[in-house]
Amino acid sequence: MSQDMNPQAESDEAMISAHASPERSLVALGPLVERLLAGEFLCAVSDESAFRHLQDERTREQIDAYLRPLNRRLATNHEGSVYFLAWRTLDEGAREQLSRQLADTVNSLLPLLEWLQLVQEALGRDGPAAPGDVLKPADFSSRCEDHQGLRERLERLAGDPFFGSQSDQLDAQLKQVFKRLREHGYLLQPHPDRQYYLVTAKIDYLIDLVRFIRDEENLPVDDQAPSGQESLL
Amino acid sequence: MSDAPSHDLESRLITTGVERLALLGKHAEALMAGYARDEVPLEGLSTTALNRLLAARILWRPDEQGGVKLAPKVRELIAEMLADESRRHVNADVAETLELMRSLVQSYREARDGGEYWRQEQQLLRLRQEVDDLNGRFADAIDSLWRRLNGDFGFVSRLGDKIRENERAQKQIVRLLDGLALIDFDELIELVGSDGALRKLLVSGLQQQLTQHYTSLREVQRRMVELMARFRQQQSRSRLVAGMAGFLREHPGFVPGNYARRGEVPALVNRATPLVAAGAAALDHHPDSRALTELLHRLPRPAQRPEPVTAAGAAAPQEDALVAARHQALKEEVERFYLSVVDRGGEGVSALEYRQEGALEWGEEIWLFQVIAEFQGLPRNEQRAFRLSQQESQASPYNHLRLIHDVVVQLA
Repeated sequence: MSQDMNPQAESDEAMISAHASPERSLVALGPLVERLLAGEFLCAVSDESAFRHLQDERTREQIDAYLRPLNRRLATNHEGSVYFLAWRTLDEGAREQLSRQLADTVNSLLPLLEWLQLVQEALGRDGPAAPGDVLKPADFSSRCEDHQGLRERLERLAGDPFFGSQSDQLDAQLKQVFKRLREHGYLLQPHPDRQYYLVTAKIDYLIDLVRFIRDEENLPVDDQAPSGQESLL
Repeated sequence: MSDAPSHDLESRLITTGVERLALLGKHAEALMAGYARDEVPLEGLSTTALNRLLAARILWRPDEQGGVKLAPKVRELIAEMLADESRRHVNADVAETLELMRSLVQSYREARDGGEYWRQEQQLLRLRQEVDDLNGRFADAIDSLWRRLNGDFGFVSRLGDKIRENERAQKQIVRLLDGLALIDFDELIELVGSDGALRKLLVSGLQQQLTQHYTSLREVQRRMVELMARFRQQQSRSRLVAGMAGFLREHPGFVPGNYARRGEVPALVNRATPLVAAGAAALDHHPDSRALTELLHRLPRPAQRPEPVTAAGAAAPQEDALVAARHQALKEEVERFYLSVVDRGGEGVSALEYRQEGALEWGEEIWLFQVIAEFQGLPRNEQRAFRLSQQESQASPYNHLRLIHDVVVQLA
């Protein structure tokens, strides 16, 4: 996608930022900073040009300096596929907030993981939903109509407090599930009236968090293929 | 002299070749059945037909008791024609081709030195064909690799199989690159000597083509490695998701440690609370007032609602309402004052005189205060339309307190 960029536009942009004063170029980053402050996770899917800016170290430094009085700093995940804001220094209030947030995340973990499994199985994918994947509620409804087992799993999942669907209609349940995932930033709906969604890189963050909890708590969950597989070759 | 028998040989080869190629078309269905299954079904084939197919080495019989199978080359040909990636072979046997090219160059030279023009031509043709074959084998192999890559190894359905297929493809790339490395252009340059035709074929032409193959192979190799990383990531994620979901289902009461209480909070759980950068309409910046006015005009008109019937309230709110009403009356009176200033053109009007003329009931101080407040409350551009001069005096020689006795307002 980014290769299609108009080279003229890119060089113009580079020229502007080279000549502009630091404050001036921060002005251009205003909307980006605002989205970060609002708690959004920015990635190549959710905002490609913002993400491109954030990959530049100087821009990151600038934003960090700007955020300093707000006690926030720019943070990213292991792969650097998603950016968000973290506390710069952790006071009692921040720790309190983080504890609550962590508890919420842990509570939403199982429904989210089950959703990932459901997507993989229902759509016959090789792996769980990954950033950039396109998901359409219509695909799910046709699969679930043909398959009673999937239908029941979706019904259970939609009724989970995290998704909170009250309906017994398949379409309404799907709508609610997609809506909640969009609200939580795992999905992006490019057109408000078109029913297709893009998976954002916040899913990478979720997976990193799962792996982190597994490692910290020494859970018996293995993500490596059994070594026997290689020796078969 | 030697021309005639060679011509005979050639025409005999062509006749037989045409006959045997026709066999492929004639028995296409039986052959494709053999491609799809283990053996070629014999039901539809007569003994003569079977014998012809065996003689043409299109079919072969691995052992006397067993069934008849497709010859490996035919199987390869079909896989190649169908771009059937699960069965397409990648084989660029460079060492043997090089061996053959060396001997062809030798006999080409001998023919040239002996003045056997026709044989020389034949050797050159064979050489050209060998070079084309070598090129074709690399091009086919690269095509097959790209197809597998771009199709995400879609010809196998399970991720484990895709990973194995990718590993196999990467090994093929290594073999192909090894094959390319066998071609030593210094040796070829020496081999062709000063012969222009050979030089063009074996040095400049071949070098250009092989460079392209090399670049393609390197690129496809890089992409294969990337795809493999993606496969591995998918595999590991899928296992992690399934494993963790299983664990959480089995242990509904599981609570991880509170990482936020640690001395060193892990980076991953440090997510700051959302902040909303709020903004509201402000009138202290003159250039904005125009835009705001426009916005105001564009606001949808509230639907007419019937006056709410209010029950009689307590006394205190009524008093508030009374104060508000009086303040409103004062405001309106001051507005009329400004309008009269406009009516009188450039002539200045004293606020106090106006009050007296109109026999207004407001106290002097309140009146002056409201006139000044109204002026200050005007939009900047309307303010500029008036000139407000205050008649004032210093309250005492010891400080800077000034008393306003009257204000005169006139059009600017």
